Amino acid sequence: MLHVKNLTASIDDKQILKGLDLDVGAGEVHAIMGPNGSGKSTFAHALAGREGYDIEGTVTLDDADLLEMEPEDRAAAGIFMGFQYPVEIPGVNNMYFLRTALNSVRKARGETEIGARDFLKTANEAMALVDMKEDFLNRAVNAGFSGGEKKRNEILQMAVMQPRLAILDETDSGLDIDALRIIAGGVNALRGPERSMIVITHYQRLLDYIKPDFVHVLVDGRIVESGDHTLALHLEDHGYADFVNTDLNDAPERPLTGAPS
Amino acid sequence: MTISSTAPAVGGTDAMADARLGALDRIAELGPPTRRDEAWRYAPHRQLGELTFGPSPESGPSLSVDLDSVVPTLSGPRIVVVNGAVDRDRSKLASIDGIRISTLGDALAERPERVAPHFELGDVDDVFLAANIAFGNDGAVIHIEDNVDLDIPIHIIDVAVPGDSPNGTCTGVVVHVGSQSSATVVETRVGFTDAFGGSNIRTSVTLDADATLEHIVLQDVPTEQIHLSRVDVTQGLNSTFRARSFNLGAAYGRLAYTVHLDGEGAHADLSGLFFGFGDQTLDQQLDITHAAPNCTSRQSYRGVLDDSSTGVFNGGIDVKPGADGTDAEQSNDNLLLSNRAEINTQPRLEILADEVACKHGATVGQLDDTALYYMRSRGIPADEARRLLINGFADQAVDDVGIGAVRDWITHRLGHDDV
Repeated sequence: MLHVKNLTASIDDKQILKGLDLDVGAGEVHAIMGPNGSGKSTFAHALAGREGYDIEGTVTLDDADLLEMEPEDRAAAGIFMGFQYPVEIPGVNNMYFLRTALNSVRKARGETEIGARDFLKTANEAMALVDMKEDFLNRAVNAGFSGGEKKRNEILQMAVMQPRLAILDETDSGLDIDALRIIAGGVNALRGPERSMIVITHYQRLLDYIKPDFVHVLVDGRIVESGDHTLALHLEDHGYADFVNTDLNDAPERPLTGAPS
Repeated sequence: MTISSTAPAVGGTDAMADARLGALDRIAELGPPTRRDEAWRYAPHRQLGELTFGPSPESGPSLSVDLDSVVPTLSGPRIVVVNGAVDRDRSKLASIDGIRISTLGDALAERPERVAPHFELGDVDDVFLAANIAFGNDGAVIHIEDNVDLDIPIHIIDVAVPGDSPNGTCTGVVVHVGSQSSATVVETRVGFTDAFGGSNIRTSVTLDADATLEHIVLQDVPTEQIHLSRVDVTQGLNSTFRARSFNLGAAYGRLAYTVHLDGEGAHADLSGLFFGFGDQTLDQQLDITHAAPNCTSRQSYRGVLDDSSTGVFNGGIDVKPGADGTDAEQSNDNLLLSNRAEINTQPRLEILADEVACKHGATVGQLDDTALYYMRSRGIPADEARRLLINGFADQAVDDVGIGAVRDWITHRLGHDDV
């Protein structure tokens, strides 16, 4: 379904992704783990279409060239990214935002727009999934939300948008254990044979609740190891030290072996 | 600015006739404002110089347009003024117990004492106010007795259809709210034709003890015109003045407020939105004087400026000796949509009393790229995301307008009536 080949991404001449390969099949959940600065969030934004990166390589979703698309077209194609830092939009009503988003992708797909009554039903089901009260929809998007509420709002949006591929960027960061359970419960309820997920996290903790089919280790802009969920347990015990190459670009300069001193 | 006649308007008392003659002298003394006048610094001085004022016609030109399609739909009493003269056919001067709504012309003929303060020259240093005193002898007078709660808004519609000479028109509005009474007045300012000209509207408000007035100004004259609005307010004990202004039209749209908090415990709450395109200059001039103890005032204005438009927020808080316990706040938040747009924001605070709490703040920002990306990542097209963000910013100035028909008019005017 999603094929990423030799993906590179640079910002201001600093290369962050250095040839990333990943294949995600329908219904699969892939976890991407890695140390800080390894390029996890850049990968998520490269898939979602954030401007400001120089990007090379190929990314296809259901054979469509994702890198050629604007962010809104990627959403219409079925991409959804749960932000690590959801953006506050004062003055824009959460319900209106959600309905505009849903109807925008429906319109882009040539489907009819959803009416107010049907939308409310969809929204209520989504809210129940992440344990949100109704007044939540009448507030401005993320404005004044607590950290946990913002993350729940991301999953709420995902439940309304029903994406083909969800990319969840550090959805667990800043959550206490109760909030983590609610969010993981929401994500698990949205798993299905036609919906794939990429779960980006720094910690193994989230993967206790969302069990991945595959785990990848991202270090210095490349996937250096892939395995099943036991790889995450290994990382929990040993950290990333095994995978962090001493040849990293940002490692201190050392004289070449054998060079005259 | 020039005058097209040295014969002032007529009507009212001998004192008013003297004031008009004095106003003509004052116009000659003052001359047009210049860049050196802080309150007129960003005004288009060349265009102001081309304005001419003279006596209002007996009646304005007959309108062939559907006025109701361009103003909010309000069902209550209304007065329509065209080029400074009341259009009686289009007005609805309903009589309501405890409320007298009349034309300024009739008030001058029948009860001039009620509008006497409106024609006091005093030490006027605003040349356009002097012109209004000299030539403005029609408009609206709203007199509300004590202990009356009026829950339907009174609508005053001012229409400018500039002629050749004079190309400027003067209108007067006088509002008096009696003790323990409350009322809402909506002033809509529109215009027709693409000829150059200007409307000069002066509103005088007096609030007795415990009176409340909500006063809404909707300024949407054509962008070929100049619009000069001045609202002078005197507040008594524990009275409340709530001003909501929407400064949208005109080449130069100026909304000035001078509020005197003369009674202890009075409260003035002024807020508004200015939203400019093209080469518009939208100017908010606020002067609030705390002359009694324990009064509160709020100024909260939002500006959105696109293209080469210019916004001005010049907000004054003047706390007189003895006005202890003053609580005053001022804020001005702006969104610049183009790198050619400009905002000039300036607080002016003068505090000569003790135990005073004064706060002021201003912000200038652009559309948040991260928010745009966030919305686009949810499938919302870039143009729509931009529109949502701009409206979201502007709507925060619209939300607390209590009259649904006025809110609808504003959102329709701003191009987002589907929200």
